Amino acid sequence: MMTVLRPLAWVNTHVLRLGRRLGAAALALMVVVILTQVFCRYVLNNALAWPDEAARFLMLWMVALMAPSAMRWGGFVAIDTLPNTLSRVPGLALNLVLLCISLVVLLIAVQHGYGHTFGFGGKFDSSSLRIPLEWVGMEGFKIKLRFMYGSLMFCVVMLIVITVELILRTILSLVSPDTEQPGTDEFAMAMGAAD
Amino acid sequence: MLAFFLPLFLIFLMIGLPVFFALLFAPGLLLWLNGQERDIALLYRNVYNGMDSFPLMALPFFVLAGELMNRGGITTRLVEFSQALMGHLRGGLAHVNILSSILFAGLSGSAVADTSALGSTLIPAMEKNGYSRKFAAAITAASSVIGPIIPPSGIMIIYAYVMGESVAALFLAGIVPGVLVGVGLMVMVRLMADKYDLPKAERIVTQGQTISKTEAAFSFVLLRINFAGVLVGLFAAVSAILGAYDVVVSVNGWLAFLVFLPIAHVSLLRIRRTVSPDFRIICKKAVVPLQTPIIILGGILVGVFTPTEASAVAVGYALIVGLFILRLLKVRDLPGVLMRAALASSTVLLLVGAAVAFKTVVSLSHAPETMAGFILGLSDNPLILLFLINLLLFAVGMFLDAGPAIIILGPILGPIFVDLGVHPVHFAIIMSVNLTVGLATPPMGLVLFVASSVSGERVETIAKAILPFLLVEVFVIFLITYVPAISMTIPRLTGFVQ
Repeated sequence: MMTVLRPLAWVNTHVLRLGRRLGAAALALMVVVILTQVFCRYVLNNALAWPDEAARFLMLWMVALMAPSAMRWGGFVAIDTLPNTLSRVPGLALNLVLLCISLVVLLIAVQHGYGHTFGFGGKFDSSSLRIPLEWVGMEGFKIKLRFMYGSLMFCVVMLIVITVELILRTILSLVSPDTEQPGTDEFAMAMGAAD
Repeated sequence: MLAFFLPLFLIFLMIGLPVFFALLFAPGLLLWLNGQERDIALLYRNVYNGMDSFPLMALPFFVLAGELMNRGGITTRLVEFSQALMGHLRGGLAHVNILSSILFAGLSGSAVADTSALGSTLIPAMEKNGYSRKFAAAITAASSVIGPIIPPSGIMIIYAYVMGESVAALFLAGIVPGVLVGVGLMVMVRLMADKYDLPKAERIVTQGQTISKTEAAFSFVLLRINFAGVLVGLFAAVSAILGAYDVVVSVNGWLAFLVFLPIAHVSLLRIRRTVSPDFRIICKKAVVPLQTPIIILGGILVGVFTPTEASAVAVGYALIVGLFILRLLKVRDLPGVLMRAALASSTVLLLVGAAVAFKTVVSLSHAPETMAGFILGLSDNPLILLFLINLLLFAVGMFLDAGPAIIILGPILGPIFVDLGVHPVHFAIIMSVNLTVGLATPPMGLVLFVASSVSGERVETIAKAILPFLLVEVFVIFLITYVPAISMTIPRLTGFVQ
């Protein structure tokens, strides 16, 4: 089992680390975009069409890139009184059942996510977001809605991978409690990596 | 069959399934068993639509603004300012703790951040001053619940979004209840000060206070603008009262401001002569941090910003203040601050998306009608029902954080009480304050655990010591419930509620 868990944990650590950096950048850009809108509206008296949608686009991707890290570190809110009151083995068994239920939800979600992202609606252009390639002498184009819809599907796919890792960790804790498991790149370490 | 999704949802919640998955699994399972597979696709799309919202963006921005303001010495400045105002009273540092929480609430809006930041400064200081550690931890935890009640408030943004209310109206409605909780706690401290002989403290801890020239200049200007703004507000209120008696006083707001500015300057110069230089500098050092709530509420009230824009401006202000005026924030701190804020808000945003999907199934299942029938079967007197609902919310708050509890219960309980004639904004405040107090109640009160980790005192010991303060908070909850004017007056006066 460790032969599967170790590379999976390594990949997750590095993908999530990159995701967190991009998510933090998305949040910073959201602030810049909204402040640009405030400046243009109140100082230049010229409200721009694109900032609201651009900020929503960035927020959706921020959630998609950050939520998997929160799930890996147990940051999803839950009433954990029952799992905590049980002794080790029943507690881990219950945790395994809960992770399997979560996996079922995510697997169903990813099917609908695919239909939502690559279906009819995703082919439409965004109302205001466009890539201004004419600035560099090429033809500009509007961003397809699938790039916004895809954020949730990406999030669900990443949550599936994280859930599989957590299931493997729980099984390993059940069958071989003394085995040392790979690290989860906890926040303090992640902050160090970011620095 | 669809009506069974609520009990099923509660079972999944109680066995420990994360709220996000429980919000989707229970209704999804019953839709599937009911042969309504098409509606499962709707469930997914509503998670997306729930997150794809401009007003909701205020949430990560307020979290980020709070994180930026919390860096470095902002907490120390607020504590020093509170101590200069209230330290000399009996039970001085306990009063300082409460006042600091009220001031901190305008910057962060998070009970956990409040407990952690103020606790690490004030609990050791209180112990040194002769308070027991359990008392210091208990008052820190009890007063921290003011954070999410006074604006800016994350849970009120969530409530407003999920229930389709005005964020500005909820922000304004939260001001008096938040202050009332603080005043109630101060009264309890005063009573306990006599019984347990709680000590006074020095008003000025560090003699020979200094302030940089840049900050002094900013404080000088901002203080006069603030004071003139208060005078303009008072003038507007008097004009409105006179208007009610057909005496029309029509003066341009900017003109009134220009008239009041020199009056504010002269008044402040007179006050300056009556206080010590250290007291004056401590007050000056609190001016710049305390502009955040003024920018947010002032911007929204004057109609310059939407709440989302106000939150982004608050981030911009916090950044400029931290980097260039106070110089407490370093550029190298920014990635960490951004990551923390993005991480904290992402889980909440995902939860809000799931709540919107959950709300769809709530409507499809006619659960509110069934619940309304059950609740109205208990009594048809709204006052008794409000009492019962407060008990329910208090019990829920013991086990679940305020945000998720609002997400789950808002769509179910809100429509019932609105139909009974309770104003939606009033009900939002009852629910928010009650569930926020739950953050400090055992066995699952999050701030109890934070207070325990900051103070090193056991959770059980703090849980016992906090009981007198919880009693006050419960009393305030019932006061807010049965006297709607407490929460509704400011939104009504400012025109945000009809």
